[in-house]
Amino acid sequence: MSGVVPLLDAADTSLFGSKAVGLGQALRDGLPVPPGVALAGDVVDAVAGRDEDAIRRVAEAVQGLQGSLAVRSSAVDEDGADASFAGQHLTLLNVRGADELTAAVSDVWWSANSDSAITYRQRVGLFTRPSVGVVVQVLVDPETAGVMFTQNPVTGADERVIEASLGLGEAVVAGRVIPDHYRVSRDGAVLERTAGRKDVAFRSLPEGGTFEEQVPADLVETLCLDDGELAELGRLATRCERVYGPARDIEWAIAGGTLYLLQCRAVTRAGT
Amino acid sequence: MSAATAAVLARVPLFADLDEAELERVASVFKERRFAQGETVIQQGSGAAAFFVIDSGEAKVLVDGVEKRVMHAGEYFGEMALIDAGTRTATVKAATDLLCSGVTFWDFQPIVEANGVIGWKLLQSLIGIYRSEREAQGGSG
Repeated sequence: MSGVVPLLDAADTSLFGSKAVGLGQALRDGLPVPPGVALAGDVVDAVAGRDEDAIRRVAEAVQGLQGSLAVRSSAVDEDGADASFAGQHLTLLNVRGADELTAAVSDVWWSANSDSAITYRQRVGLFTRPSVGVVVQVLVDPETAGVMFTQNPVTGADERVIEASLGLGEAVVAGRVIPDHYRVSRDGAVLERTAGRKDVAFRSLPEGGTFEEQVPADLVETLCLDDGELAELGRLATRCERVYGPARDIEWAIAGGTLYLLQCRAVTRAGT
Repeated sequence: MSAATAAVLARVPLFADLDEAELERVASVFKERRFAQGETVIQQGSGAAAFFVIDSGEAKVLVDGVEKRVMHAGEYFGEMALIDAGTRTATVKAATDLLCSGVTFWDFQPIVEANGVIGWKLLQSLIGIYRSEREAQGGSG
């Protein structure tokens, strides 16, 4: 087994996958990423096979991570230029305890080896054995979260597009709410703010997993980001572009007043 | 994986000719997979990634949306996926929380490639299945 490393040290895409290496690079560049651990594909394979040595190594590596965990796939060929496995490969939130972590890593392995993932692989000409890295991170418990495009993905305009909702960002990513919509110029001027309809918020359960909470009526159509938070998101966009290049698709969260970067990848459909 | 998995494999026609050691070799690459009640385990018409043995729980088999039967611990499904990763001919849904042991096409293939005896026995089993189905249809071969 070649790899269980702090996320900060994840640098080899062929071992850890693009998500882990992208987050590792973000940490190395001082971006505000929650701490975590990267598991190489062979370690994930061994954990899924209930190899005791691999399970012990992973358990030791995550001992320093406080609170509940997010377990995300980081397949080696995930988010490639011609193929995106988003929707096939799994993310599990609010994972607690060693047994649940082993089961979550196993679930991620199977998500990359599911019928739907294999069908997708056949369709895009990637009919090879999936190698699935995993990122285990501290799960932030956000007041607000969402996505941000550093360049308008629809018009291609040089402006930030931000979508935000209450609670965990999965409500936005999974399309469970109409998020608040903002457009912010590169120099920080707010060009548009449109309240969405945020009926539900995803929250962590004390015993693990998540649930959908009904949002109080007075907050459903109330904007959830203020000018200070929009300015901070704009600064994050600038820093991400400096590190990764233009046209980034960012997942973010604000927890305890701190802005976190959860994921940063290239916008694959700009202008369409 | 468990001796119980090897014991189930011994009842799978595809593996009918494998001896105990060969069955254990195949069983060793199985991985545990859990499904929540109501979850779709395999989908009719989808590409097929893995063969499963039920360790605990129950699963419903549906063809064209019509329930055909219920499977229990010790039963298995999807073994032909190991040969060609072809198309599922039925849907299987977890009727209860379901614990399975599964092996993917990717993990099975190297065993066969590395062991010509297993490969030859699988070929013989496949021919046996083919002849049986031909005879059932009134053909010859």
